[in-house]
Amino acid sequence: MKTSYALNKVLTEVARRHAMKDRLSEEDIAGYTVSAEERAALTAGDIAKLYELGANPYLIRRVFRSRFRV
Amino acid sequence: MAEIVAAALTSHAPMITGRPDVSKPERRERLYAGFRELQRRLAAARPDLLVLFVNDHLQNFPYSNMPAFCVGLCETYDAPSAGAAGFMKIPARTIAGAPRVGMAVLEAGLEAGFDLAYSYEIESWDELAVPLSFLAPDRVPPVLPIYTNCAAPPLPTPRRCHAMGAFVGDFLRARPGAERVALIATGGISHWVGTPETGRINSDWDHWVLDHIGRADPEPLLRLTHADIERDGGNGGQEIRNWLALLGAVPGWKGDALAYEPVTEWITGCATVWVHP
Repeated sequence: MKTSYALNKVLTEVARRHAMKDRLSEEDIAGYTVSAEERAALTAGDIAKLYELGANPYLIRRVFRSRFRV
Repeated sequence: MAEIVAAALTSHAPMITGRPDVSKPERRERLYAGFRELQRRLAAARPDLLVLFVNDHLQNFPYSNMPAFCVGLCETYDAPSAGAAGFMKIPARTIAGAPRVGMAVLEAGLEAGFDLAYSYEIESWDELAVPLSFLAPDRVPPVLPIYTNCAAPPLPTPRRCHAMGAFVGDFLRARPGAERVALIATGGISHWVGTPETGRINSDWDHWVLDHIGRADPEPLLRLTHADIERDGGNGGQEIRNWLALLGAVPGWKGDALAYEPVTEWITGCATVWVHP
């Protein structure tokens, strides 16, 4: 199964600050080793792409709650 | 000897209590009635201890350290914490844990071939607070939560969860004294959370799960793969591992669904099930 430790590490840290975002900033991602594709998805708040790249959906939901219609 | 005097399965979606306003009143009331009936039966069973089969939602266990099974050894649990109380619309309260029983489970597990993880600090979310707000609104016996990884794959297989529960059932029944134990498993049934299909509910699959539980026939559920559940029950459906663990503890018992409601607004197929001999 596809899982990205880099994405989940970033999203866990943001989620634990109880910070809900539309998209992550470069500052949010600074210091994490994410690929260019992962960086693009995080900074775009592209929830479908993040899922495809192996981000945990519970973390996607917590961080990008405003991106979900329900 | 100790006795298992009650067992129940329930969903635990935070919006069950947190957003009652958005659901259809008739669906909500039927589900709440199911919870109330579980509460009545549980109170009549007069348990001294609640063993809860539940799961983390990544609030405790990070990807740097992910246990398959984890026994709570906390002296108390905030269920819910002051921070989570507003979101779940449940008054904050602190309930007693059962760390000495938990330690005994760990030691017995090692002898029986279950190397369970443990934690002295657990932040509980909806997995405890939502069901307990209905099932034990006033007085709560000490609780022993056993967390199964249902959220960060790879996950323990359904059959392994059932076997873990069987061990816990054997352990509890072998305890000396006249302890009265109730088992509660929370989570499920179908729901998709944070995936591109977020909001989907699969009532057909939910009924299939409930039918097998109703007939005390868990075997088809134990054969499910992670991919099967992901396809038919969603990533939230993986939480039926908690239910299967409980059913392992009470072999031959069957579950009567007191309520089942696919509540679109809560993005969850919600059920309350009474499990009995």
